[in-house]
Amino acid sequence: MVDHPPLRVIGRSEFLPQTIRDRARAELPFPITFELSDSIEGLQRVVSRPASFDVYHQWHTVDLTWTARAIQPIALERIDGGAEILAAARARIGDTGVIDTVFDRLFVQPDGRLGSAPAPSIAMLPCMHGVDSFAFHEDLFTLIDRDEPHSWGWLFDPRWTGRAALLADPVLGMIEAALATEASERVSFADLGNLTIDEIDQVVDTLIRLKRRGHFRRSWRNYEEAAELMRRGVLVQSMFYPGFVRLQRGGMSVHMADPIEGMRGWHADVCVSAATGGRMLDAAYAYLNWWQNGWPMACLSRQGYYGTLPERVRPHMSAAEWAYWYGGAPACEVLPDPFGRPAVPAGHRRPGGSHRERMSRARVWNAFMDEHTYLMRRWQQFVAP
Amino acid sequence: MKNHTYYRMVEELLSRSIAQGTLPPGTQLMASPLAERLSVSRSPVTRALKALADRGVILEVPGQGYMVAGPGADRPVRRNLHDIDLTLGPDPDGRQAPVAPSWEPILDEVAAQVLNAIPFGTFMVSETVLGAHFGVSRTVVRDVLSRLHGQRMVRKDRQSHWITGPLSARRLADAHELRRQIEPLAVSCAIGQVPRADLAAMRERLRAALAGPAPLTQPQIDAFEADLHDTCVAAAPNRLLADTVRPLQLAHVVNRLFATYIGVHDAGAMLAEHRLVFDHMLIGDAGGAAAALRFHLDAEHDRARARLKVLSIFDAPEVAAYLSRIH
Repeated sequence: MVDHPPLRVIGRSEFLPQTIRDRARAELPFPITFELSDSIEGLQRVVSRPASFDVYHQWHTVDLTWTARAIQPIALERIDGGAEILAAARARIGDTGVIDTVFDRLFVQPDGRLGSAPAPSIAMLPCMHGVDSFAFHEDLFTLIDRDEPHSWGWLFDPRWTGRAALLADPVLGMIEAALATEASERVSFADLGNLTIDEIDQVVDTLIRLKRRGHFRRSWRNYEEAAELMRRGVLVQSMFYPGFVRLQRGGMSVHMADPIEGMRGWHADVCVSAATGGRMLDAAYAYLNWWQNGWPMACLSRQGYYGTLPERVRPHMSAAEWAYWYGGAPACEVLPDPFGRPAVPAGHRRPGGSHRERMSRARVWNAFMDEHTYLMRRWQQFVAP
Repeated sequence: MKNHTYYRMVEELLSRSIAQGTLPPGTQLMASPLAERLSVSRSPVTRALKALADRGVILEVPGQGYMVAGPGADRPVRRNLHDIDLTLGPDPDGRQAPVAPSWEPILDEVAAQVLNAIPFGTFMVSETVLGAHFGVSRTVVRDVLSRLHGQRMVRKDRQSHWITGPLSARRLADAHELRRQIEPLAVSCAIGQVPRADLAAMRERLRAALAGPAPLTQPQIDAFEADLHDTCVAAAPNRLLADTVRPLQLAHVVNRLFATYIGVHDAGAMLAEHRLVFDHMLIGDAGGAAAALRFHLDAEHDRARARLKVLSIFDAPEVAAYLSRIH
C-alpha cells in the first residue's frame, strides 16, 4: 500500500482532534492527509474545486455543496450500519424536535434533490450532532441571583458591559445574536434560522450599538480562542462545548447555560467529493466506515458531541462516561476529555439533561440563510475594528 | 474591457490614415469636426489628438487645432472630412466600433458589469471613472445612468451617489413574483407572431440537445434562454409588456455567474421545461404555453435561489473600475 495516494480529508479542528487523526492513520491501510480549516476558505474550495479533496466533514453546508455538485451520493449499501441509518430515519417520521434536521435533507430523491424520504443513497454520512449555548463564569453570581433563569439576553446584558464576547463566525454569530436580540429587545423573529433583510438589520444595528458602548471584549474563531477569552476575564460569551470541556479541565469555575429560549442545534457529517473515483473512492468509503465503528464518536462524545448511532458508541465508553454524557446523570468519578486527560469533575451534571432532553431543546439549527450575502456584509460592519 | 479603449481606437485609426496617406501632411485636425465625422464624443478624440501630438505624428497649431506633420506641412489645410474614408472598424478583440456618440453601446456593457457585481454586495458607480473608462462626456454618462435608473438597476442615495445592489434573495424573489405573472402573458401573446418555422427550429434544437450525450456549454445554454426568453417574449405585440419582462430576468444572471464560479451543470430539466412551452406554442395553445412557462419559471427560480446561496460564500469577483464596494 506504499504507493497508495493519500486520502485528502478537509474538516474543522473541533471534529478532527489529534487523537482522531492519529488513530485513523494507524487503523486505515492507506495514507491520509488532514487539512483543518475553521474558516470560509475551506468551504469555498470544496464547492469550487471538488478535485482538490476526497472527503469533507460538512457542517450546515450540505445544501451548498449539493447545489454546487461538489459531492457525490453515498450508497447506503456500502456503509456499515446503513440499515441502522434507514431505521433511524424511519423512526423519526412523525417525530418532532430531537435530531430533526439531520435527516431532513439526507436522502437523494429521484429528481436529484435532497429530502427526508428514505432512499438508497445519501448526500452525507450522518455522524454527529449537538446543541450549543453560551458559557458564563462563576463570578457572574456576584452580579445576579443564582437562580435567575439563563437567557440568551445575557449576551447583551449591560450589567457586565466589557466582559461579554461573541463568536466571529457570521452564520452562527447571527443566529446567537438574533436569539439575544429577541430576549433583550422584546421582539420575535419568524424564523431564526432564516432571517429577512429587515431582521438582519435589526440584529446588526443592536450589535453595533452595543459595540460602540464597549460591550464586547472581542470575538473568537475556534474553541481554543473561546477558552482563552474566558481565562482573560470574560464573564458571559458564546461557547462551543469542547471549549467548555477545555476550561473544566483547567479547573475554571465555569457553567454552560441552559437558556429558557432553547439552544442552537447543529450536525456534522461526512461527504465524498464528486471528483473522487476508483481506488480513492474505495478509500473514502473505508474512511466513512471507520467513522461508523463507534470509537471516533466515543472520543468526540467526551467533548460534548453526540453520535448519530449512539448504540455503536456505547461499547467504547465506560459506564460512568455513558451515564454522564448520554444519560445526563451526575459524573460518578472524574471523566476524561478526548485526549484522555481528566476534565469533568466528579459530581458535575450536564445542563439540560440527557441526550434526548438536550436535543429536544434545539430552538434553531445552524444554517446558511437565504440572505447570506447581505448578512455577511452587515456582520463585517459589526466585527470591523 | 481595457481602460480608455475608445481613444486608442481613434488614435490608431488616425495614425493608420496618416501613414497610408489618406490624411496627407498639412491636413487640419480639430476635435469637434473629427468627433462628428467619426460619430463619437469629443473626449476620446481630444485624447487621441493629444497622444498623436506627443508622438510627433501631428503638430499643434495654436488656435487652429492640429495638422498632420510631414514634408510640406507648413500651415493647416482645411479639408472636408466627409470626403475622406475614415471608419472605425472593430477593435482587435472583435468588439464593434463606437458608431454613435450615444449611451447605447455603453449601456449594455455597464448593465452587464453591474449585474455581475451585485450578487456579491452593494456598489457605488463613479460618474467620473465611468466617463474616463469609456472616453465619453459626463452627459453621456448621465444618460447611461438615468436609463439604468429607469430599469431600477441603480438608485441615488441621500448624498446623490449612484448605488447598485445587492441582488438579495428577496430581490430575486420579488422579480420572480412579477415575472411569473407577466412573462407567460407575453409568450401567450407572441403565439402567431413568431413564424411557425422558427418555433419548429427552436423546438428541434431542444430535442437534439436533450438527445445529445455531451453536456452543454454556457454559450449554448445562453442561446436556448434567448430563444424562449428573448425571441418569443420580444415577439409580443405589446412593447411595454416585453420591455417590462427584461429587467425581471435576474435568474439568468445568477445562473451565468454560477457557471463561471462553480461550473456548467446538466441543463436537462431546463431544456425539458422549455420544450414543453414550445410544444404548446406550436399547436397554438396560449393557455398551455403560459402554464408551461410558469412551471418553468418556478423551477428556474428554485434553482437560481439555491445557486445564489452558493455564490454568497464568495467575495466579489473582479469588478469594473467604475464600481466600488460599499458593503
